Amino acid sequence: MSNRRSRQSSSALRISDDQMIDLVSQLSQLLPEIRERRRSDKVSASKVLEETCNYIRKLHREVDNLSERLSQLLDSVDEDSHEASVIRSLLM
Amino acid sequence: MNHHHHFVPDFETDDDYVNVNTNSSSSSTLPRKTIVGEQEDDLMELLWHNGQVVLHNQRPNTKKHPPSSSSSSSAVKLHNNNGGGGEAPPPPLDHNLFIQEDEMSSWLHYPLRDDDFCSDLFFPAAPSSERQTSNQVTAARPPVPSTVRPPEASSMRPPVPSSVRPPAPSSVRPPVRNFMNFSRLRGDFTAGNGRGESGPSISKSTVRESTNVNPSSTPSRESDLTRRTDGIDSGGTVDIGSRSVAAGGGAYTNGRNPKGKAVVTTEPRNENHPGTSSSVASKSEIEPLIEQPETIVDERKRKERESVDQTECRNEEAKQGRGSTSTKRSRAAEVHNLSERKRRDRINERMKALQELIPRCNKSDKASMLDEAIEYMKSLQLQIQMMSMGCGMMPMMYTGMQQYMPHMAMGMGMGMDMGMSRPPPPPPFMPFPNMLASQRPLPPQTRMGGSYPPVHASDPSRVYGSNQQFDPNSSQAQYPGYMDPYQQFRSPSQPPQFQNQAASYPSSSRVSSSKESEDQGNQTTS
Repeated sequence: MSNRRSRQSSSALRISDDQMIDLVSQLSQLLPEIRERRRSDKVSASKVLEETCNYIRKLHREVDNLSERLSQLLDSVDEDSHEASVIRSLLM
Repeated sequence: MNHHHHFVPDFETDDDYVNVNTNSSSSSTLPRKTIVGEQEDDLMELLWHNGQVVLHNQRPNTKKHPPSSSSSSSAVKLHNNNGGGGEAPPPPLDHNLFIQEDEMSSWLHYPLRDDDFCSDLFFPAAPSSERQTSNQVTAARPPVPSTVRPPEASSMRPPVPSSVRPPAPSSVRPPVRNFMNFSRLRGDFTAGNGRGESGPSISKSTVRESTNVNPSSTPSRESDLTRRTDGIDSGGTVDIGSRSVAAGGGAYTNGRNPKGKAVVTTEPRNENHPGTSSSVASKSEIEPLIEQPETIVDERKRKERESVDQTECRNEEAKQGRGSTSTKRSRAAEVHNLSERKRRDRINERMKALQELIPRCNKSDKASMLDEAIEYMKSLQLQIQMMSMGCGMMPMMYTGMQQYMPHMAMGMGMGMDMGMSRPPPPPPFMPFPNMLASQRPLPPQTRMGGSYPPVHASDPSRVYGSNQQFDPNSSQAQYPGYMDPYQQFRSPSQPPQFQNQAASYPSSSRVSSSKESEDQGNQTTS
């Protein structure tokens, strides 16, 4: 059983805890909620991951909204103007 | 017959005591005598359950008839006092004596209560672990001397759990009270817990239930879903929220199991909670005696820790009766392992959810996946910044923005008016029009040097425009770093002129590329 456990956690061990901690801290820096809410280093990894997922979903929604707005703008703009190209490039 | 007296137990002939009892009612042929003693005329009756004497009639002190005389199991029923004379065949005590001789003495001398016996019969039948049963039994019967309880519990346990749980109550007809308890316990088992609920766990589950209800009562908007800090089902919330985002709060409410009833949830973990809370809530009485450390498995986060602490205390109390510290330590370690495993599972679950969110993420390594997640988040932030600025800029294009465009085209290159900046100082969704409005009167050069940290601010027209009036190459050097993390997540229809430079980046590590971009950005502005 110990072998199994070591094998199971070996993927994590390869990463090394410091690396994980660093990544988690990076994520926590990016996440506005955690950055503003808690200054302590007691944020659990699961919490950070959860907040990351939430934040990414929020960003997705924001992108969708902006895309919609840009597409609307594109409709209102001449097709040949360079603004249209800009918008198109933005929308990809 | 080597019996001297009616009631002298005969050990040699215990094998067929049953036959003897059933066949011969005459006392003369009975080798089976019960209690060592002097009850010539006392009516002895022993209740048997699975081959063990459950209850015996005390000698001269108490002549109580076991109320549940018919409650003995498939073993032989002794109808000694059914009108038989004093010469009624003695109960096959020697059988029991042969097996548990040491216990008999304590049994004999200790007045036993029916409910204790029967309760113990049922309670041990419920849990799957015998060890805990003994703990509970020991803890459950404080008034009972510990000397009596453990051996009898241990002795009774082997035969009892061997029988399947459902048949147990049917085979033995206990007092009504205990039967009700057992049915309650069985209901708990069937609910999926596998354990009878105890007081603390019940209180916890009710607390949990109430807590479940509360969030569901709040408006289940998406923002609430994402902002939920409830520790109970936050994990489940995330996953459920992702699936129910489109559906609004409906799916979320269902997933949350507000009523505590057994609700089909998307989270497998939630099944235990509804099952637990429903089974517990439906039960009016609480069995404080049945307490299983396995309830920890059903609890989550701080509820887990609470249960762990309380269960540990109770286990320790129970173990103190046994006086074994090794079991205490092992139990603590086992509890710790359980909590650790739950924590790991939670983290793995979040990682999987994150992996689903990140497009084109084929990394199985946690670290690389987190790296990619970080880059993706940054690129998303930048993209949104750009788009919002574009949205704000577009209407102004016609008004007065044209004057800025050529300036930007001059290779000032920073498009500082775009206001792109690293995430930290301004929020990613910083409204560009505001900045622009404040700076419009300013000459573009001033804005260039402006308050924004350098960088990847990029003019969308320069970067992506197909018919750019600007020299894309000049701007290329400025924000290749910006391009890279951004590009990989965008559709591959990037202008080809950027591919050359950008192609070099994907090979490099993400982190270094982002740092590169920062350095380059800094250089350009300095």
